[in-house]
Amino acid sequence: MIDDVYVIGVGMHPFQRVSPPMRDMAYTAGKAALDDAGIKFRDVGELYNGYLGGNLLEGISYAKDFGLNNASITHVENASATGSTAFREAVRAVRSGDCEIAMALGFDDMMKMGMSMMKMMSGEAPKIDSIILPAGFFAMWATRRMYEQGTTVETFAKIAAKNWNHARFNPYAQRQSKTEVTVEEILASSPVAYPHTSKMACAAGGGAACAIVTTKKMAQKLANGRPLVKVIGSQSKSEHYTDGHIFMGAVVGPADLTTRTTQALYEQSGVGPKDVSFVHVHDAFPIEELMYYELMGFCGEGEGDRLVAEGATSLGGRIPFSPDGGLIARGHPGGPTGLAQVWDTVTQLRGEAGKRQVEGARNGMVHMMGAGSICVMHMLQKEG
Amino acid sequence: MPKKPLEEGYFVIHDDGSSALLGSYSKAADHYYFPIRKQCPITEEPVETVELPTEGILYSWTYIHMPVMGATEMGYGGHGVGQIDLPNGVRVQANITGKEGDWKIGMKMKLDLQPVIKKGETEYCTFCFSPA
Repeated sequence: MIDDVYVIGVGMHPFQRVSPPMRDMAYTAGKAALDDAGIKFRDVGELYNGYLGGNLLEGISYAKDFGLNNASITHVENASATGSTAFREAVRAVRSGDCEIAMALGFDDMMKMGMSMMKMMSGEAPKIDSIILPAGFFAMWATRRMYEQGTTVETFAKIAAKNWNHARFNPYAQRQSKTEVTVEEILASSPVAYPHTSKMACAAGGGAACAIVTTKKMAQKLANGRPLVKVIGSQSKSEHYTDGHIFMGAVVGPADLTTRTTQALYEQSGVGPKDVSFVHVHDAFPIEELMYYELMGFCGEGEGDRLVAEGATSLGGRIPFSPDGGLIARGHPGGPTGLAQVWDTVTQLRGEAGKRQVEGARNGMVHMMGAGSICVMHMLQKEG
Repeated sequence: MPKKPLEEGYFVIHDDGSSALLGSYSKAADHYYFPIRKQCPITEEPVETVELPTEGILYSWTYIHMPVMGATEMGYGGHGVGQIDLPNGVRVQANITGKEGDWKIGMKMKLDLQPVIKKGETEYCTFCFSPA
């Protein structure tokens, strides 16, 4: 178990389709986290900037907006797991004793990154060895699932609708519907890749999120009456060869990757599926979330559909998934998403999540996948 | 019109117009891989380049509502993508020809060529699979 790393500050910039400059979003999220922690940037020993879309100098130049404090600053990139990896590095910096306070800041604007995709589609000869549209890759998980387990498109729509409706209570979510989102509305949205529709796909846009970690001693000093949130597990794993391994064109590796990473996290943290209060996963599409119910041990193989039918993974259910809306509705700019998961987890464990509060929240698990691929997970626990 | 691979190293087009994917065989692991590996991913021992079987079974599929790569050459609309299991244990992800409704998991598929871009008199292709 990780012994002495606590989250003392979290902050967000809203995730939205049309975003202000990345620099402004990064500053907003970072400043919010510093204020939440009750510290100044000069107190930070190491900063990890997680982003995909900026140029080489973006992160280090944005850091100067907080101050010139002689801190170690590193650019982190791990595809969609960038924010999670930035958080992991901050945890390691404190755990190793290299610094007392470390900051993980993620920011991105996927709409600006999309221009390079459009260039590829316009006629420049593309590369054979490139990933396919993620919607297409995960759609093949879905088609296979329907074949093997009889899962219906309606089940996928229920998961998507659940996450849209969770996001209604998240002021930073990109997709905040004014009215309840129905299964019918999800199914009626435009097709993307069979069986996925546009409202099943993760929201593309921009945003920023930040988390600050420190030692117990410092966390107690800064707690200001709020519960302490401890990081009790941190795992990162890449692919392991399995039967039917796809080396080219796949977005992420085999399902086994999540299983292995989750098992390692459970062992490290001493917390198993029965003790987890809520979960954030890489729900780029509902098939992923469905599979993760099973791969993470919350039910047996093939039983995920039952959890959906019972409402077990909705707010108020036995084991809420994506309480802030998930990638589908909170949104998924590459850099900050993993840190947005941490933001909601800390907010939940502090009892400050308002209408999306998970009652009695004690252990929050976060999971992200990065294309190529990598799985990065953390377990956070309310202390006391 | 003469056809050539869009990029070398993934498949070959023989003089008779037939084609085959290029993969690796690891004697140490007795495993085949696609595409060519620099060494065996399981044992880290050397591998040899081999031509892979040209037929397989459809493991999964989808229809993507966006033009296939090289849109200006291929037209518009959507395209199929599948994962095909070859008899030697290799699973290949590739474009699949046909339209929505044509594909069923478990059906036989055969290797095919898909034009991507024309340069002069030569048609540069990627590989794909078609219902056998």
